[in-house]
Amino acid sequence: MIKIGILSVAHPHAQSYAQAVVDNPDATFTGIYDADAKRGQETAARFGTEYFASPDDLLAGGLDGVIVASENVHHRRHVEAAAGAGVRAILCEKPLATTVADAQAMINACAAANVRLATAFPCRYSPAFRRLLEQVRGGAIGEVLAIRGTNRGKCPFHWFVDKALSGGGAVIDHAVHVADLNRLLLGREATSVYAEIGSGFHGQEWDDTGFLSINYGDEVFATLDTSWSRPKTYPTWGDVTLQVVGTGGVLDADLFAQNITHYDDAAGTVTNSHWGSGTDAALVADFLRLAGGETAPNIATGEDGLHALAVALAAYHSAKAGQPVAVPMD
Amino acid sequence: MSYRVALIGAGTMGGVHAGHWKTMPGAELVAVVDPRTDAAAAHGAPFSDFDTMLAQAKPDIVDVCTPTPFHREYVEKAAAAGKAIFVEKPFARSLSDCDAMLAAVTRAGVPAMSGHVLRYFPEYAGAKRLVDAGAVGTPVAARTARMAGLPDLGGRPNWYADPAQSGGVVLDMILHDFDWLRWTLGEVTRVYGKGLFHLTKHTGVLDYALVTLRFASGAVAHVTGSWAHPGGFRTTLEIAGNAGLIEHDSARTAPLTASLRTKGGGGGVAVPESPMAQGQDPYYQEIAAFVHALQAGETPPVTLADARAATRIALAALESIETGKVVTLS
Repeated sequence: MIKIGILSVAHPHAQSYAQAVVDNPDATFTGIYDADAKRGQETAARFGTEYFASPDDLLAGGLDGVIVASENVHHRRHVEAAAGAGVRAILCEKPLATTVADAQAMINACAAANVRLATAFPCRYSPAFRRLLEQVRGGAIGEVLAIRGTNRGKCPFHWFVDKALSGGGAVIDHAVHVADLNRLLLGREATSVYAEIGSGFHGQEWDDTGFLSINYGDEVFATLDTSWSRPKTYPTWGDVTLQVVGTGGVLDADLFAQNITHYDDAAGTVTNSHWGSGTDAALVADFLRLAGGETAPNIATGEDGLHALAVALAAYHSAKAGQPVAVPMD
Repeated sequence: MSYRVALIGAGTMGGVHAGHWKTMPGAELVAVVDPRTDAAAAHGAPFSDFDTMLAQAKPDIVDVCTPTPFHREYVEKAAAAGKAIFVEKPFARSLSDCDAMLAAVTRAGVPAMSGHVLRYFPEYAGAKRLVDAGAVGTPVAARTARMAGLPDLGGRPNWYADPAQSGGVVLDMILHDFDWLRWTLGEVTRVYGKGLFHLTKHTGVLDYALVTLRFASGAVAHVTGSWAHPGGFRTTLEIAGNAGLIEHDSARTAPLTASLRTKGGGGGVAVPESPMAQGQDPYYQEIAAFVHALQAGETPPVTLADARAATRIALAALESIETGKVVTLS
């Protein structure tokens, strides 16, 4: 059995990761640490596992894999602790960190301890994305020239809008997903980023609007809308869409389009009920392979997480500079 | 009295205008100028030469529907002759041509209107009305798209494929969006764009441009222009504000779709249609608005200053595409 622990359930994705661990017959859910005892105890009870008041106590249990779902700024501390405890693999929630230096330190710490570091990019596991990637790699649209992406959502509030914990707003929260998908589709690294960033939806000091232009060398370009622009009444949480333009045609992907529409008179709402394949369970299943000592070629590594983070951070830099900026990588 | 109308240019848009002039109360199509006199004769009394037409047909209105680079010549001649002028979009290929035409028209004191027909498309007019009425609160983030294949002139020399003449998809097509966005959100302060036409290997073959705009209000907009979509024509628009969101997609609002079995029994391409009641065609409505303004002695509703402003945004986008830099508009 593969022994798994979760370091912090601050990020809501921890719930679906926990469920995926519980549902996996090869895994044992050793326990949860959370700085908020009430939240940690409630989550542990929900998934029938133990609550630990300190990360070290949980890590002392001889875990094979650790999932880090703390607030962004705490990722480094928790990943380094897990690496130091000799686990086999760590799955860290995105964004990998809030600075390139932190992300690099995490990668280094894991490499030094011979620990496999993975970044949680569940969109990689969307069957629609897998099919898109297969078509692009198979040459269905010839040479890829441009990608128009969106990853919009509703504002998540809580610590996501506390820059001291999140490192930013909508841009750092959302840019990394599509930045990662673009790398897979293009097989190229981002070279420069231009961004218009704003806070007009909520009028706070954190960004809720992000329109990024991402360049991949001189000839291939992409744009990405990371805004928390979906209103409260929007029928779903948000979207991930990709319009991939090539010399031989266009592929349009809408990763979360597989919905039933529900008009609810009692609640006065219209909502989408998603029936497409879940991505979090597939991500965790791949992570459990790593934690069990197998390979998982589709999972995003720490380096992948760093590349995506660099795009988000370059966007903030560009908005401040009012010009495109080089992506500070390699 | 009935206005005597001379149409300059018997191409795609000239043909559309000719059809509407013929059914327009208070106007009479008396001449069509085109070096291809057979094309001109299909719509009315043909002339191959503007000056001859002026002397013989004695028009009150000159409607300029030539390819973009020829607008200036005919607008200046019509202004000098004291005619009322309707000029198609794009106003001009260069700002200096815009200014020359504005000066000629101002000097002559003739009424003039620009063909930014999108303002007469009911979905765009309706979206603007909703935004003005506060439907989304304060507008924050807008997205529009206009996607088609490269215009096909049926074997005639394709001036659209020559960026020096047409300005590609940015000047010829998403100029519509720039005008509509400026009409709805106010003045643009910053422009950043990426496009294919400036890359020699795609020039004249396919174009795809992604343009980001910042407005004086603080709002941002993203505009997609495609001459890389092989199947049909599609437009989308959305404006998200701090109190709501409006969205429209032509692919989801066509009230009629024909899916016809081919002779061999295989499937044909589904052809959607979105018809309007007689007299509500946007091209008819814009011309009718011009005639009404002339009859009432009022300033036509879309001025040449508006046309210059929209053209300036498009030219800024082209400059950004060519230089890789942000273009600031004062």
